[in-house]
Amino acid sequence: MKRSGVRPTVGAVVRGLVAVAGLAVLGYGVHGLLGMPHATHPPQAARWLIGGLLLHDLVAFPVTAAVGFVLTRLVRAPYRAVVQGTLLASVSVALASLPLWRGYGGAPDNPSVDPLPYGRNLAIVLGAVWAVAAALIAMRALRARRGRRAAPDGS
Amino acid sequence: MRVLPERLPRPPAIPRRGPLREDAFPSRLHDPRMAALLGIWLGVAFGVCFLTGLVSHFMQHPPSWLDWPARPVWLYRLTQGLHVATGLASIPLLLAKLWTVYPRLWEWPPVRSVAHALERLTIVPLVAGALFQLATGVANIAQWYRFRFFFTVTHYWVAWITIGALLLHIAAKVTVVRANVGRGRAGRARDAGGPGSDQAEPEPEPEPEPEPEPEPEPEPEPEPEPEPGPEPKPKPKPDGPGSDGPRTGEPTGDAVDIDPRAAPDPAGTGLSRRGLGIAVGAAAGVITVTSAGQFVPGLASLDLLGPRRPDVGPQGLPVNRTAAAARVRTLARDPGYRLEVVGPRPYTLSLVELRAFGQHISTLPITCVEGWSADATWHGPRLRDLLDAAGIPAGATVRVESLESRGGYRASEVRPPHARDPLTLLATGLDGADLNLDHGYPARLIAPNRPGVLQTKWVHRVVML
Repeated sequence: MKRSGVRPTVGAVVRGLVAVAGLAVLGYGVHGLLGMPHATHPPQAARWLIGGLLLHDLVAFPVTAAVGFVLTRLVRAPYRAVVQGTLLASVSVALASLPLWRGYGGAPDNPSVDPLPYGRNLAIVLGAVWAVAAALIAMRALRARRGRRAAPDGS
Repeated sequence: MRVLPERLPRPPAIPRRGPLREDAFPSRLHDPRMAALLGIWLGVAFGVCFLTGLVSHFMQHPPSWLDWPARPVWLYRLTQGLHVATGLASIPLLLAKLWTVYPRLWEWPPVRSVAHALERLTIVPLVAGALFQLATGVANIAQWYRFRFFFTVTHYWVAWITIGALLLHIAAKVTVVRANVGRGRAGRARDAGGPGSDQAEPEPEPEPEPEPEPEPEPEPEPEPEPEPGPEPKPKPKPDGPGSDGPRTGEPTGDAVDIDPRAAPDPAGTGLSRRGLGIAVGAAAGVITVTSAGQFVPGLASLDLLGPRRPDVGPQGLPVNRTAAAARVRTLARDPGYRLEVVGPRPYTLSLVELRAFGQHISTLPITCVEGWSADATWHGPRLRDLLDAAGIPAGATVRVESLESRGGYRASEVRPPHARDPLTLLATGLDGADLNLDHGYPARLIAPNRPGVLQTKWVHRVVML
């Protein structure tokens, strides 16, 4: 069972080299981060790094799973996928522009930073997204009805 | 190295509760093919972000041997616009990817071998770094600074950490990807167990059960068929109609013997793999369409959720740092303003003389590191004419200094390709009018293919280095 006789393949060697390169690159990054403490403020950076991880693993995922569970109770099967996908898209769009529509950031003396009515704009974008979702749901409903009519004994 | 794949003793049998339960994650999207496909796209996106980020970094901090070209004029606009747009589009990709692989966080036993432990350890910098880069990027383009570290430097170093962890992750997972993606993956899945193909691969081994039987051998050994054999529970018919491997969630690591595309998504249980792909693509598309107008000419009207509009600002052009923020309001409006050109034949010019020095027109984008850019028509004397008048040789680098008394961007170096480019101006006006104070009145540098922070404003000195 010992592998002493097995010669590593080219693929294994390449993977080994990629791993070594990855380790070197990672080490370079850590070294750089710790080497400029005035700019990077390592304890702060570490808090944000670990904080993001914990926020995702202990909050974002469980909340998403809970929402998914609720959806299984609220929305019937052929339409649920549309609602799930649309929710994913909505949350992504909202996160990508979070500081904007929340009114964070910007500079008081510089009206060209974050200059738009983002709350209204987000509502427009999400409205359009959900309009597409509603159209998809309607199409599915129509198809289901046609299917039932075509095969009345179907279900 | 031998010790790496060595199997560690099993942890004591504890009741598996909560997320440790076998069937804790029923979504069929927690499956290796989905994870591999999303991983590829995310890898491409992060690769683009990393490379364009390096371009931006080394344009701002060029090593002595690297003179960036002044052409094409639009290069930095493209790379930096792409950097921000790709980062924003990565948000749904990353969320979906983390969703598919989350059950791995709770896999049991937590570590199977030293190699497996190391591989799991690399996930920490990978996920933390990826979330960090996207979050700080989103905050920075909105100029929202809740963190106390300096954005550019920290974002730069964490990029190296993230990419390093990504390379390690690729090395660890490439066999899983190959077994789940592309033509002939079924064959590769079978081979993956073959001798020598992936010695330290922790992945393709079957998820050990609460153990009624001897552990499946982790190392791909020369014994025939190591992997499907010991698989106790997923009905492992690769293409039988009943095989819905992905259904059970648990990406049991048996990536290798499932050909998930052969297993049609069971209808009506929620989002399918294809559905998730479409949703992620649609989300990325909506984000891109509603924000890319901040750097793509002609798309400004679609720019609903970008932090900048290329046509909003004084004189219809955005500003990053105002005269008030730079504390130059008084100095810049001083009628006694003089431009000093320091070289072999130094001289000074008043603003009137500077305007009379020669008026050239350049249409050049101002391109910010925050990803927005806007075209504008500038006028003023060519930098190279000013340098010639001072006897500064063509091969010389000059430093352009602002009236600002402090700050990292109060001066910038202009190397010969930019200093001698006929489009490079010491602009005194914009769109036929004098410069607005916030755009750098009385004079600013504007050069092609150059980050906005180096287009020094409120210029009062040009010094040969």
